[in-house]
This record gives sequence, C-alpha cells and structure tokens, in this order.
Amino acid sequence: MTSSPAPDGTAHDKPLYEASTQFRNWRYSPEQLTKIRKVLNVAAVTAIRHNFEVDEPGSSANVSFLDADEELLLVKLYISKITQLCALFRFPEEVEATAITYLKRFYLKNTVMDWHPKNVMYVLVTSPYRLTALFLATKTTNNPISIDEYTSRIPKTVPSDVLDLEFLVAQSLGFEFAVWHAHRALWGIWLDIQVRFLKNMFFNSLTIIKNYATDSTILSMSEYNLALNYVRASRLTDAEFIHTPSQVALAAFSLVAPDLALQWTVAKIPRDASHSGSSMSTLPLVLESIKSLIRTSGHPPDVESVREVDRRLRICKNPEKVPGTRAYMAKRAEEERIAEEKRARKIEEVQKATAGDPFGDELQNTGQLPGLVDYDDDDNDD
Amino acid sequence: MDAVEKANIERQKRWTKDQKVGEGTYAVVYRGREVGVGRKIAIKKIKVGQFKDGLDMSAIREVKYLRELKHRNVIELLDVFSSKTNLNLVLEFLDSDLEMIIKDRSLVFLPADIKSWMAMTFRGLEFCHRNHVLHRDLKPNNLLIAADGQLKIADFGLARDFADPGYKMTCQVITRWYRPPELLFGSRYYGSAVDVWSVGCIFAELMLRTPYLPGDSDMDQLKTIFRALGTPTEEEWPGHTKLPNYVPVGQFLKAPLRDLFTAASADALNLLTRCLIYEPRKRISARDALNHPYFFALPYPTHPSKLPKCAKQVASRPLEEVDGNVEKDSTGPGVHAKNGKLKRKLSSPLDDSKGRTIARRLDFTKQMVT
Repeated sequence: MTSSPAPDGTAHDKPLYEASTQFRNWRYSPEQLTKIRKVLNVAAVTAIRHNFEVDEPGSSANVSFLDADEELLLVKLYISKITQLCALFRFPEEVEATAITYLKRFYLKNTVMDWHPKNVMYVLVTSPYRLTALFLATKTTNNPISIDEYTSRIPKTVPSDVLDLEFLVAQSLGFEFAVWHAHRALWGIWLDIQVRFLKNMFFNSLTIIKNYATDSTILSMSEYNLALNYVRASRLTDAEFIHTPSQVALAAFSLVAPDLALQWTVAKIPRDASHSGSSMSTLPLVLESIKSLIRTSGHPPDVESVREVDRRLRICKNPEKVPGTRAYMAKRAEEERIAEEKRARKIEEVQKATAGDPFGDELQNTGQLPGLVDYDDDDNDD
Repeated sequence: MDAVEKANIERQKRWTKDQKVGEGTYAVVYRGREVGVGRKIAIKKIKVGQFKDGLDMSAIREVKYLRELKHRNVIELLDVFSSKTNLNLVLEFLDSDLEMIIKDRSLVFLPADIKSWMAMTFRGLEFCHRNHVLHRDLKPNNLLIAADGQLKIADFGLARDFADPGYKMTCQVITRWYRPPELLFGSRYYGSAVDVWSVGCIFAELMLRTPYLPGDSDMDQLKTIFRALGTPTEEEWPGHTKLPNYVPVGQFLKAPLRDLFTAASADALNLLTRCLIYEPRKRISARDALNHPYFFALPYPTHPSKLPKCAKQVASRPLEEVDGNVEKDSTGPGVHAKNGKLKRKLSSPLDDSKGRTIARRLDFTKQMVT
C-alpha cells in the first residue's frame, strides 16, 4: 500500500513485477512461512480450546488439535480438489492457477480449524472456502459464470454457500486480485526459446545444436507440456511465495531440458559484469531450491494421512462456528448486544439532534424515532 | 473475532464518511477524510447484496487494476474494505473532470493547456498499456482533475488485461462517441489501439469544445466517423470489410482536418491524424505519442497548476447515476454510461479563486515529456 512511484510518476527502470501487489505483499522466506503458520495455528488452538471450555468445562482435554503441518496437508488436499473442479468445468489454466493462489493466500490468514457455520455441516474433507476462491477467480480472470450454473454442478451446494464467504475470502486476499503466474512466465520462456532457437542466436555450443537440432521432438509441444506439468506441481508447494514466477518457470523448464534452460539463461542475463556476477552466482541455487521443492512436495497428499487428519479436524472444529453449541449461541448473543448498542446510540444521537425541536419531543416518546435513522448510512444494521 | 475481520475493521476506522455526494442503484458515493490526516477522500460504497452473483465484475475489475496501478495520472485507490453487505472503495478525492471543463463556456483554452491535458492523458494511458491493461472506456468525464490540476484516468470498471492473440474479447465496450471503427464493425480481437482512438476523439473535443464524432446510433456512429475522416479504402484498412459486423454505410470523401481545426498547429493535426488512423495496427501507440514532436514544440504544455479550472464545480451539479453493472448487450448511447461512475462533482468551496490571468509566462521548467 505504500508504493512510491518515481518523482516523475513513472517507474521506467523498475521491473513491472516489482510494482505488483504480489511482489510487495505476498513474498516470504521459508522461515517466515513456517512462523506465520505456527502463530496462526497456536492462536487458533488457544481460541478454540477456550470455546470448548465455554461450551463444556474440561471438554478440550480430550481433543487432539491439528498442528501447523497437518493444517498444511489439508490445504494441499483442497488445492488438488480445486484442480478436479476446474477439470469438471473446463476452466482455463488461468482460473485454476488463480484460485489455487487465492486459497493458499487465504490460509496464510486463516486456519482450517475455523469453520464457517453454514458450511460446517457437510463435505468435511473439503474446505468451503475453496469453492468461493474458485468462484472469485472466475470473475477476477474475466471468465465469469453465473452462481446458479456454478453451484448446480457442485453437489450439495447452494449459491449462499459460496457467496456468503466471498467477502471473507476477498478480505483475506487484501482485495489484491491480480496474480502473476509461473505458467505465463513459462509460456514466455517457451516462445523466446523458439525465437532464439530459430535464429540460432545463442547456440554457441555445437554439441547442443547437434543434440537438439537433429532431434525433431525437441522444441515440440511435449517439452513445453512436460514443463507445464512441473509448474502445475509447483502450485502444491510454497514456491510462489518464495520465488518469482519466472524463477519457478525456469526451474520447471530446467527439470525437462536442463541444457537448454542453462543456455537460455546465459543468453538472457546481461553481459554487464556487475549484473551478471550476482545473478549468475545466485540463480543456480535458486533453481535448485525450486526443483527440490517441486520434487519433494509437488504432489497431492497421501489419502491415508489426510484421512487421519480429517478425522481429528471433525473433532476440533471451532464450536463457536457450529450452530447449536453454547459457544455459538454466546457469540451470536454478543453480536446482537453490540448491534443493539449501536442502534441505541444512533437513536440517542438523533434524539439529541432534535431535542430543541418543538415537534421533536413527542416523537421521542412514541418510540417512532428509529424510523428517522438513516439506515442506508449505517453499515451495522441489516 | 477472526484476525481478517479485525484487520478489515481497522481499515474502516481509517476513513470517515462526511457527506453523501451521490447515489445510484448499486452504489453510493461519499465525501470523507482520512482520520488524523484530514486528507479529502471519496468513498464509493457498492451494495453487493443486490447482485445475484456476488461481487460484480465492474467492481472486481476496478479493484483488481487500481490495486496494481500507481501512477500520478491514474486515480489512486487508497483502500478497500467491506461493511456488512457493502464493498467500500476509498479513492482520492477529485474535484472535477475534463467534460465539465470542456463544457464550461467561461473558460478559454490555450493550445498549451490542451497540450498539457493530452500529455497527462497519454502518460496515464502509456502506464496502463505498459502494464498490459486496456481501459476500454476513455472519455472526457472519465478523466478527472485534481485540485492541483493533475489529470487522472478513472473508472476501470471495463478494464481488462490484454488478451493473448486469438483470444476473443467483447466489442461492446467504450462509450459510442469514443468507440473506434474496428469495435463498431464487431472486431473481437483488438489491442491498445482502441484506447488511442478514444484519446484522439478527446483531443479533437478539447480543440472544438464539442464532441467530435457524436453518432446517434452504432450505425450512425460509423457514418459520422466516415463523414469526418472519409470512408476507409481496402488499401487504407486491409480486411475491414471482412469484420463480423461490417456493413457498407456509404462513400464519403476525406475532408482535410485543417478545414475543421483551423487553429491547430501542424504538429497537433499530425498527432490527431495518427490517433485516428483506421488500421488499428498503424495507429500511434501511447508511448510513441509521448515522443511525438507535438509535445516538444512550442508552446510547451501548461503547468497543471495553471490550467483552466471549473469555477462552477462547487455548484451542486447532480451526480450522474452511480452504478455498478455492465449492460453487456445494450447498444444504447454510451453503452456503459451507467457503469461504475466515480464522479465526485461536489466539492468544498473552491479556494483557488484567483483564477488565472490571460497573459502568463510560459513554463519551461516542468512538464517536459520524456
């Protein structure tokens, strides 16, 4: 939010990516990610434990809460569910990638143990937020479909299940809807490599020309598709929070065609010594770290391990968000009380304002005054 | 309470709503202030509850692009928060817009003034295009004017990213008078040239003080364009007769622009001509326009603070309908005239009453286009 464009109002020498909200607000180190998730998890466990105790003293003792790693496992599961849904709807890659990013960002601000009351009653293994994240992504990527069509194809889902969570999801994203995707970067690299390949601009090494030029399958779409699969796998990892989209894309390409990726990199990095010195020394490390992320965690979670986590999630879901529990009633009562207070204050203000009016006094006593409140101006009433 | 909801409430507390300055079916605009700082702001409250499909596309586009685009000549989105079923956009407060200024008969425009507005428009547009964003609704009343004279491109309710080649887009965009012929002929594949055409129309309007190409219908719009610029030949615009909605609308001869724009400099006419080239691929880009000799020739652009200003902006002009929905299938005048207005036409009493004297020295120090 505190971007400061150059004095002339432009930022010509700054890469466009660095002005994006993604660059400014959604980059983390692996340590930061671990810490954020840990803090979220501990806070949630503390709050939910408290709610259990309110509901029934001593009841939290038997609950084994999820830890941060187990939460992450579930998030991964939800991601793979988004992929399944996108296949069902035949949504474009952009929609799927965006929805996954939204869901991952969402779970850096929320925990899987906090459930929304409306959706807690069913589909336990799936996060209701994923449906909202996906629906929101169809709109932000300019691929909108109607909510009726959307929910009619998802079992046991009605429009309000999706729409009621839209604000919470959008808020969690900080209303930052634009996402820079690795698959776009990969497409760019792919196009660029073809141009360079055809122009024979960077193939100084005869062996590489021989290896690639004589093999007709090289630079066929299959190379690109293989790399794209690695980019897709990277969506199940934290790569996008740690690295730039082009780094992720290059790593994915490098997993398919390491020599070609290297040649392309060398050709792309400016010859200017000061520049290339740093980039060339750090890039291989960056690429290795992304490759290893993709190899080790770029796959959907094992069904058995999720089943166990899910079983425990059912027990430790936040009672404050489950209708019928005492904690739920207590929260509702508190909300009602606050709303009532606000209304009362408003009425009082109106009364004060009209106190000097000779026609005002009678009205006050008849209890008609709430009608004078400008409810349209009040965000706290319904 | 959830951390996210708490953060949202904190955001809300940063801004006050002082006065309702406009209302439409889907949105209400308030004038307000930043708490503790006192800076004037505008809050556009969109009543999301009214949309069947949740957050509407126009609001989403506006938030998506304005969150990313920070530039002196693009309206600044300061914050976003939600309240119950409403989405609130906190925007910088801007007194007037270019349409009001054009219509204010008490104002005299010097060529340097027009050059200044054009430079600011192209700077803002070049920034959008550099970020791969098409505005798709440029017109004088979407070019807002700040108290210091800076022009800001506003209303991104129809904006979108450039599509990949071969990816269809809707041709039902841009208010008719500013819509380029390729969209009128139903082209579904287009690029940044559509916005440049609109800027060309605005340029002409600044010189004429009246809309340049005011068609009564989509068909009449084509006729109006061809009457002014001549019916395009196959050579001028290869392939245009193959466009989906192509219809012959009659043969008109090209009249020299000089006949209408009697006072314009040769550079000005050259730039105008290049903004209004039929073949979209040959139309000048925003970036090239900024490097056009027009901007480097005398007189240099007026410093924004010295530009003509609406004195009447304080008068309570009725606010235009403040709406959130895009009428996709409508073809009426200004298809999207109801769309996502951000006009804040009421303002506090104008403190800048000094106006400007007619004899002014040229300002050579600033506003050099780079």
